[in-house]
Amino acid sequence: MSLAADPAPATPLLRVRELTKHYPIREGIFQRVAGHVRAVDGVSFDIMRGETLGLVGESGCGKTTLGRCVAGLQSVTAGSVEFGDTGNIDTLDPVQYRAFRRNCQMVFQDSFASLNPRHLVIDLVGRPLRVYREASGDALTERVVELLEQVGMGRQHLYRYPHQFSGGQRQRISIARALALNPELIVLDEPTSALDVSVQAQILNLLSDLQRDRSLAYLFITHDLSVVRHMADRLVVMYLGRISEQGPTETVFDNPQHPYTRALMDAKPDIEADPDVPIRGLEGTVPDPARPPRGCRFHTRCPVVTPNCGWEIDDVARWLDDTGDVLAGLSGVERRSDFNGRFTFETDAEAARLEDALRSEATPPPMRAALDRLERQGASVDIVFREVGEVPLTQRGPRHEAACVLDPTLIQDRP
Amino acid sequence: MVDFPPSVRHRGATPRPLENATGVRLRRAGDLAKRLLSNPTTVFGLILIAVMLLIAIFAPWITDPNTPDPYQMPRDWGAVRMPPGTPGHILGTTNEGGDVFYGIIWGSRTSLQLSIFVVGSTVVIGTIIGSLAGIMGGWVDEVLMRIVDVFLSIPELIFALAIAAVLGPSFTNIIIALAMVIWVKYARIMRAQVIQVKQNEYVDAARVMGDSKLNIYLRDILPNAITPVTVQATLDMGNVVLIGATLSFIGLSEAGIAEWGVLVSEGQAGIASGRWWASTFPGLMIFLWALAFNLVGDGLRDALDPRTEGR
Amino acid sequence: MLDAPRNAPVAEVNNLKVYFQAKRGRVHAVDGVSFEIRNGETLGLVGETGCGKSVTGRAFLRLLPVPPGILAGGNVTFRGADGESHDLLTLSDAKIRAIRGDRIAMIFQDPGKALNPTMTVGQQVSEVFLQHRSKELLERAGLASASGPIQRHARQSERIFDGLLLKLPGYRRHRQKLQSALNAMVCEALAATQVPNPAKLIDRYPHELSGGMRQRVMIAQALACNPDLLIADEPTTALDVTVEARILELISELQTARGTSVLYISHDLSLVRRICDRTAVMYAGRIVEIGPSGDIFRDPRHPYTRGLLAAIPTQAAPRGGLAAIKGSVPELIDPPEACRFAGRCPFATDACHAHDPELASVVGEHSVACFIHYPPPSGTRPSFDRETA
Repeated sequence: MSLAADPAPATPLLRVRELTKHYPIREGIFQRVAGHVRAVDGVSFDIMRGETLGLVGESGCGKTTLGRCVAGLQSVTAGSVEFGDTGNIDTLDPVQYRAFRRNCQMVFQDSFASLNPRHLVIDLVGRPLRVYREASGDALTERVVELLEQVGMGRQHLYRYPHQFSGGQRQRISIARALALNPELIVLDEPTSALDVSVQAQILNLLSDLQRDRSLAYLFITHDLSVVRHMADRLVVMYLGRISEQGPTETVFDNPQHPYTRALMDAKPDIEADPDVPIRGLEGTVPDPARPPRGCRFHTRCPVVTPNCGWEIDDVARWLDDTGDVLAGLSGVERRSDFNGRFTFETDAEAARLEDALRSEATPPPMRAALDRLERQGASVDIVFREVGEVPLTQRGPRHEAACVLDPTLIQDRP
Repeated sequence: MVDFPPSVRHRGATPRPLENATGVRLRRAGDLAKRLLSNPTTVFGLILIAVMLLIAIFAPWITDPNTPDPYQMPRDWGAVRMPPGTPGHILGTTNEGGDVFYGIIWGSRTSLQLSIFVVGSTVVIGTIIGSLAGIMGGWVDEVLMRIVDVFLSIPELIFALAIAAVLGPSFTNIIIALAMVIWVKYARIMRAQVIQVKQNEYVDAARVMGDSKLNIYLRDILPNAITPVTVQATLDMGNVVLIGATLSFIGLSEAGIAEWGVLVSEGQAGIASGRWWASTFPGLMIFLWALAFNLVGDGLRDALDPRTEGR
Repeated sequence: MLDAPRNAPVAEVNNLKVYFQAKRGRVHAVDGVSFEIRNGETLGLVGETGCGKSVTGRAFLRLLPVPPGILAGGNVTFRGADGESHDLLTLSDAKIRAIRGDRIAMIFQDPGKALNPTMTVGQQVSEVFLQHRSKELLERAGLASASGPIQRHARQSERIFDGLLLKLPGYRRHRQKLQSALNAMVCEALAATQVPNPAKLIDRYPHELSGGMRQRVMIAQALACNPDLLIADEPTTALDVTVEARILELISELQTARGTSVLYISHDLSLVRRICDRTAVMYAGRIVEIGPSGDIFRDPRHPYTRGLLAAIPTQAAPRGGLAAIKGSVPELIDPPEACRFAGRCPFATDACHAHDPELASVVGEHSVACFIHYPPPSGTRPSFDRETA
């Protein structure tokens, strides 16, 4: 690409705006809604024609839900998915919806589960053509053969069942099926995660070739950084339903602006990277998406966490839970807000122990610094943290955004 | 678990590609038949069923049909309580002079009717209701399944007995009573299957390509969900006759009808006085009928097991 | 040599062959695999699905599915810290049980399946101690000379009336002592895996824990008795990358501290490169290349290893230009005398299809089974300079 100033930016193929998907958690015989799993929580991005957008994150970050919303498999709770010049796909009229359906296809992770075991290859790959009455009879057979040849298979495979193929071949069949209607966008949900490296390379090459020949756009969902680095033009990193960083792939890899991106890279370095640099992981587990942490959602595991990252009452409970028996004798927690609460104990001594613990060196210093008020009255302790809102994405460079409160320079060197 | 390389697992099934979809499908059916026939007990069951069917089909040629209604036992009041081997009454006669041999031959037709009507109607009803509950989910599922629970909470025999008693004693009413009792079983099985199958990604894949809901149900969900229903239906072909005979035995069928349960009932009074034949032969037929379908049902279950398919 | 036992490898696999009977013949899942695991080292066993790496790993604990599997030959020799060596494949069931979990332990890929869902974490880790450390347990509880029922209770071999006897007041006190000693041992084992608050973890059930936590519990269980050898079969494949990295750090810390030897089975080359001292590459039931990890990854000598490494997507490779290995793994049903990789190898010659190459040293400890490095008995010798396919 030339460095000359971009002409008027082309209209994106897909526009996702403030997309939110909450799943209700139902309880009891009356199926009362007890809360919501916030799988995707206000995510916006664009996909341009012919580009690959990589979507990375760990399990539970909402990347699969997001992919399914984009593909129209799941209705959205709020926000919009706009395809081409049409409006939100949830409000399309039937003719427009049909056009969207043809233009946006999907390839799934499990090639075995995504192919009907009772259908022959010709039925599997030819089905979209039948649905849209594009071809039948011999013409259909020829179209299917053509599609199979494009994915490196052939006429000899027409009359076989999915179980007669290897994983790589099955994934080729899925891709051929997705190509049948000549779509402009394909959502690829972990298309190579179940495959061995040598087969993965075949499939990745195939996907690249197809993209070049047909100017396809991909939404490439994966947890594998090396794959996404190889395939994607731009990158969206998600954590607990929100985007933590997005930008051009190389920019993000060369200069990650969010500690989570950094952690992902440290945990799984490139095969070509220096083998003597030790891999580094993260402590703790991903919090419950039904009650995501306040402020920056990553603050519970962040290695460079600051007092401004959204410390809350839950963090006290979480920390004490991990540190032993300080919570012994706790008789109740009164939560006035996420940042303000009162811990009541059975005896004054136990309350004093909590107060001491919170003032001591054992408490993570950023958490201590975030305390606005810490007061003990008899057997109860009042804890108030400074209130912090959701951390927004901020500009870090050309088309490069990250949602972190830290100064970019501080993220570079992890302690 | 041993991970065979994919090539080992998959190539075995394709010695050579057949360039024709019908050919491949036929071969798949052939494979199923081959697996089914590789089990000796299943073959035995199939032979039994075949013999029963032949008897039912050729009943008018085996014994002269009774007039006006061939399903009524002919009464030979001159030859009551005759032992087996009596000329003209090869298996003997009952207290009322009914020919046991005639009852057995024509009873196979009655049993076949009972099995086909009961199982046929309940499979259709159960599949539709189970599918509706499984696909729609939500309150539709709640309502339908609570109804099913009510039916299931009463023991089948007692329930059928109650219905037949209310409707009055007749063979048709036995069919109705059994159908009302049995459909819930299929609804249950089908619902569970549909819920499981619809989570498969190939259903999502069909939605992504924009296929209609009906098509998705007919092409993706139903064919992959129906297998256990088929097996259960085969087993029930036998079991229904067993329960039907019980109801007839208690007297909920029309008296004098050529039906195995009725015959057993008619003959049981004589057992104590040594006239074993009037109950034993029809009882044996009931046993063989139920056994045959159970053997084939079990064989079918094994043959349709996805773990053995494609090997 | 006199000091042989000291430096002798902790385990040696010699010409191991495991077959599976299929309809059309025998599947040679593992076909003549030989290697050694040295004292204190981490040996990586890498390969793709179906190459036989898991079956090889399971042979160490005799967890092979025999039948339908067929142990067609070879032996696995284990030399414990006591210097005694055993052939694990012919050992009596009682002896192998004594070794399993005590001298050789295993961590599996899916901790969700390997842990019993009906037992608490504490109970599951206790099992190991009751099975293998009952004497130490009794000593710690101060009950070394306690009477029969308690002794048997500590060995998990209660007799029929022991349950009743143990309810009697005197025994009950002893049993409580025993239980607290046991809990202390379990806590120590769990604490070694750096879980926060082990005392609390003891009463949890596996389903209440995250994947990473469950894997730590499994590691605690595996390392509880300080085994000489740890078999880790894809222990982090089911985990997220950031958690995976923590678990790997943990395993290597514990290994260094205790001097445990590890057989690390994985499909992930970049991980193996980082954590293993030596690496063995398996293909279609054979080891095709083995040597120090540094050598193997810097200078891979087998065309398959080269192919695998080139197939990993990197930033440098042009998009769409990954070097994929063509074709797929061959059928392993009664394979012919030939290099298993010949059909997919870009350098294969007639010799590769006619003879079976054996592992031979290339440089020092780096051995490769390929005719590129030594002349075949007959036919054209292949060369990296000459692509034939």
